[in-house]
Amino acid sequence: MGESSLAVVVEDLSVKFGDFYAVDHITFSVKRGEIFGFLGANGAGKTTTIRVLCGLLTPTTGSVQVAGVGFETGEMAIKSKVGYMSQKFTLYNDLTVEENLSFTASLRKLSAETYRERRDFILNFISFKRPLNSFVRDLPGGIKQQVSLAASILHDPEIVFLDEPTAGVTPAARARFWALIRDLAAQGKTIFVTTHYMDEAEQCERIALMRTGRIIALDTPANLKSEVFPDQVYELDPEGRASYVQMQGIRNHSELDFFEPYGLRFHAAFKRSAEGEAFKKELSRDFKMTRISPTLEDVFIRLVEGKDR
Amino acid sequence: MSFLWSRAGAIAQKEVYHVLRDPFTLTLAIGLPVFMVFVFGYAIEFNVKDIHLAIHDGDQTRTSRQVVEAFGSSGYFIVDPVSSPNQAMRHIAGDQDRAALLIPGGFQKDLFSGRSTTAQVLLDGSDNSTVGPILSYVSTIQNIASVKLGDYTPPSSEIVLKTRFLFNPELNSRWFVIPGLVVVVMAILSVLLTALTVAREWENGSMELLLSTPVEPLEIIVGKIAPYAVLGMAAVAFVYVIARTVFGIPFEGSLWVFGLGCVLFLAAYLAQGLLISVATRKQQLAMQIGIMSGLLPAQLLSGFIFPVESMPAFFRYFTMILPARWFMTIARQSFLKGTTLTEMGAAFSALSILCLILVRTASKRFKKDLEP
Repeated sequence: MGESSLAVVVEDLSVKFGDFYAVDHITFSVKRGEIFGFLGANGAGKTTTIRVLCGLLTPTTGSVQVAGVGFETGEMAIKSKVGYMSQKFTLYNDLTVEENLSFTASLRKLSAETYRERRDFILNFISFKRPLNSFVRDLPGGIKQQVSLAASILHDPEIVFLDEPTAGVTPAARARFWALIRDLAAQGKTIFVTTHYMDEAEQCERIALMRTGRIIALDTPANLKSEVFPDQVYELDPEGRASYVQMQGIRNHSELDFFEPYGLRFHAAFKRSAEGEAFKKELSRDFKMTRISPTLEDVFIRLVEGKDR
Repeated sequence: MSFLWSRAGAIAQKEVYHVLRDPFTLTLAIGLPVFMVFVFGYAIEFNVKDIHLAIHDGDQTRTSRQVVEAFGSSGYFIVDPVSSPNQAMRHIAGDQDRAALLIPGGFQKDLFSGRSTTAQVLLDGSDNSTVGPILSYVSTIQNIASVKLGDYTPPSSEIVLKTRFLFNPELNSRWFVIPGLVVVVMAILSVLLTALTVAREWENGSMELLLSTPVEPLEIIVGKIAPYAVLGMAAVAFVYVIARTVFGIPFEGSLWVFGLGCVLFLAAYLAQGLLISVATRKQQLAMQIGIMSGLLPAQLLSGFIFPVESMPAFFRYFTMILPARWFMTIARQSFLKGTTLTEMGAAFSALSILCLILVRTASKRFKKDLEP
């Protein structure tokens, strides 16, 4: 894999706040045109990593290369190459769509002509149909996110960092937003996205799972599933009403590899042994048992619990 | 470093939109100066007039009647003749009168025989804001009275004190207060609004977005502060015009010197507001600290209402680190006395030094905060 095919190269990156490692010696890379998912609980170090990659925070150790530039050339070089949509703030509510966009364009030093071209292109891309002088506060949440995305890609960056872009919008708006993300990737942009939604994580080409400042897993969703669950996973549907005591008994059974509630059902994996097979048979009397492929949620619960033990 | 006016301009323009579209800021920016000028110009009266004065004339001679007449015709007092010193006391206690003048029997006789003569003045000390003015009126009128008695050739070779109030002959408190308002109004606009504006960006996370673009810290500072600098200067112009036209206050000094003082003071206070904003990053806290460190000292410790000279030693020295105190001197002297730049050298040097310190600290701290 040549250097030029990598959009982001992170080597031994750590960020220390006082004695605390927010990011603890991580190494990874992101390919050009890839949709790269970044997952983890709040405080796992996702946003800190993104802030470094956007040139907002200097690394304590290690090096980063973003679109071919690193901190050696100054953070301004990084800033001009990436687009960033933060989770907290998207657009100024008391400004109109046009004012917001032209403000961003001025900060990005776009000429008036380039700005109008890019604006019309992007607004068309997100199918924005409202008047340009509508106030941002009057836009529905989903549209707001889309305009916010428009603002972050106005300068045609090679890489777009999206920090929880779909938090708090309707499922329909989320689907629409992800269609835009896929379109952007198809145009050759690299998308670096954090999310809490597993269905969104499934749409990433590769995902990294962060926990207490480290990356504990990084692969394609399919590989992660087969790595973490080499054996069959079953969905157990209790036929009758399973009592709490009964469930606790099953959960702690030594022949179970994995057992987690999933709505009213349960996801389970059994030990590869004669006893495991026997226990599976025993359970199939009380539960309707279906073979399934594990969800990403199963993968993460298992990975995180595995680290906790 | 590549400072771009276009970027600073874009930030300034956005800031103007924020101000124009936020009713609270707009009210603060336009309403407050107007309100302050109105309140301090009309409602608050430091001149004391029509004081009810109980007079007991125990002498009932021509001389004593002349003294009573002098008080009555002065315009400051409403004379209320009483029959005994006790009744005068009761009037003061009952809030009917503010003060009493007691002329003892033998007043004229003592005066003409060359012995010293005394009359007593009783003042209601429970309202000490009126005591000072009353006392000064009493002594003035006393002098006038003694001059009037002069054609009676009192043999005593007493020294006749003559007081003339320079620069503000009528001792009109408005002449004194309105120029000082320039300081207070500028303090509100510069410290409070600047403290709020940067804190707002931190609070709602937009600072992060600003910083994710290749914008320089200096461009943010200039862009953020410029609108409030213009607003501050506009407020000064407003107070100046009102002072000259509505209140007819003279402006004796040089507009250039006064303008220089305004610029220095504005820069110092904008820097202070910026510093507060960067240090707190919260609008509520920034507002409170802005009021505590900018507004209150400008009103209470600058000499606006309470003269610095009469403060306890500690505060007298403490006020030296307040830009408002020095600018107060510059504003008043420019309006009323026409003092030149060199004559106000001390005030200008102090203000320049404070301004330099504040601007340096604020911009350093701000840059340090924004750099990754």
